[in-house]
Amino acid sequence: MAGGELMRVVIDQELCIGGGICEMLEPEMFELDNDVVISSVVGDGLLPRERAEEVADRCPGRAIALVQEEI
Amino acid sequence: MRSTVDMTPAATVETPNVTDPSLYLRGIPHGCFAQLRAIDGLAWHPYEDGGFWAVTHHADVRFVSRNPELFSSAIGHTNLWDLEADALEARRSLIDTDAPDHTRLRRLVAGAFTPKNIRLWEETVRAITIDLLDEFVSQGGGDWVDMVAAPLPIQVILTMLGVPVEDADYLVELSNYLVEGTGDAQSIPPDAFGNTTELRLLPFNSPASHALFEYGEGMRQHRQDDLQDDLVSHLVQAQSEDEQMSRSEYRNMFHLLVFAGNETTRTAISHGAMALAASPGEWQRVLDDRSMINSAAEEILRWATPIMHMRRTVTTDTELAGTSIAKGDKVVMWYASANRDETVFEDPFRFDVSRANSDHFAFGGGGPHLCLGAFLARLELTVLLEEMAKRSLCLEQTSEPVRARSNFVHGVLSVGMQPRTSP
Repeated sequence: MAGGELMRVVIDQELCIGGGICEMLEPEMFELDNDVVISSVVGDGLLPRERAEEVADRCPGRAIALVQEEI
Repeated sequence: MRSTVDMTPAATVETPNVTDPSLYLRGIPHGCFAQLRAIDGLAWHPYEDGGFWAVTHHADVRFVSRNPELFSSAIGHTNLWDLEADALEARRSLIDTDAPDHTRLRRLVAGAFTPKNIRLWEETVRAITIDLLDEFVSQGGGDWVDMVAAPLPIQVILTMLGVPVEDADYLVELSNYLVEGTGDAQSIPPDAFGNTTELRLLPFNSPASHALFEYGEGMRQHRQDDLQDDLVSHLVQAQSEDEQMSRSEYRNMFHLLVFAGNETTRTAISHGAMALAASPGEWQRVLDDRSMINSAAEEILRWATPIMHMRRTVTTDTELAGTSIAKGDKVVMWYASANRDETVFEDPFRFDVSRANSDHFAFGGGGPHLCLGAFLARLELTVLLEEMAKRSLCLEQTSEPVRARSNFVHGVLSVGMQPRTSP
């Protein structure tokens, strides 16, 4: 994947089960709200493709979608 | 029910038995699971009342976990055997519910277990850990379960719940009887602890569940008149004022938080100690490079697999791993097998503190039932490893473990350890 290609991560809050795996894997990018226990993206939402795919794949609620970022 | 004609024939012959609880007295029957994983598709496993599909591959466990609309937790039971409708209702907890009941119940407690809120407990966990390790070292070792693995998680969860920590020993004792209840032999009579309820109506068919219900009821009454900043008060408020849960749901939630909050992490800490003692070179790598503590904790979780399976019930005729399965069939996700799946974990029987792949199923395979206490368990394990590393504490195993007679809980009842300060 070498450097270049970035993907934007998007959370479907209807699907989020509040498992916190995204925040564990990328603490700068995701934040699980303590009251509603739903995650949101707090950083720029951009990750290298391979990492983005890994984070989306690990999401227990299948709530993370990836959007191709125009460069 | 299982259709009898179009079954995958290869899967029905010579399926090794993985349900006999006595097998687990010698540890997880990994050889049997390897045989099951070698079968294409799903293996049909006979069982008392008809049998189940054994789901042993990592990818298939993940699929079942993450598709709750196809694989129900509320129908039948989440253990191998079905319960009668009244028993299922009486015992129903977060574990045996589907949306929307599951979502409602989980939301009542989930906020307490987010990564951020769990981090607030770090100093509490550390103080408890330091006391236990200091005592373990000054005594020159002893039963690791009794001295460290059991008291650490029970003291932490009781503190969170607001339950007097002096009662930790009693609640650990009840938990031990509950573990027995997951096997096929119970050492206490049905009327133990003053129980008068039919055992089939109690979690794990155990009179100890009656005792834990009574204890939870006592806590509820205490807190009702005197709300505190603790988890029991939060539940009492949700139950009585906001009517977000029934009385039965409260007592099953209390039962679950106490049992799951102590027994499972105790198991991880017990197997972790045994793994570190058996692989002193791996522990030395952590001592040399503390940045491995997180991956070491994840590896301990994979290695331990404290809960070895959960069962689901198929809601509609479908296909899994190329096998046709019918509405009403039982599917059993064997985490114990998925965590050794050679197609996912390289050299899966090697204990590797720097293993890059942490996608283990010690907390289940994902989906809505992902272990509520996952970040608490991780905190307890990492703090324990940090404090052991600070002391350069190495462990030497001095006796064979006494294991739980259970195909569900990978429990260790006792194992001797003694401290050494260099490997």
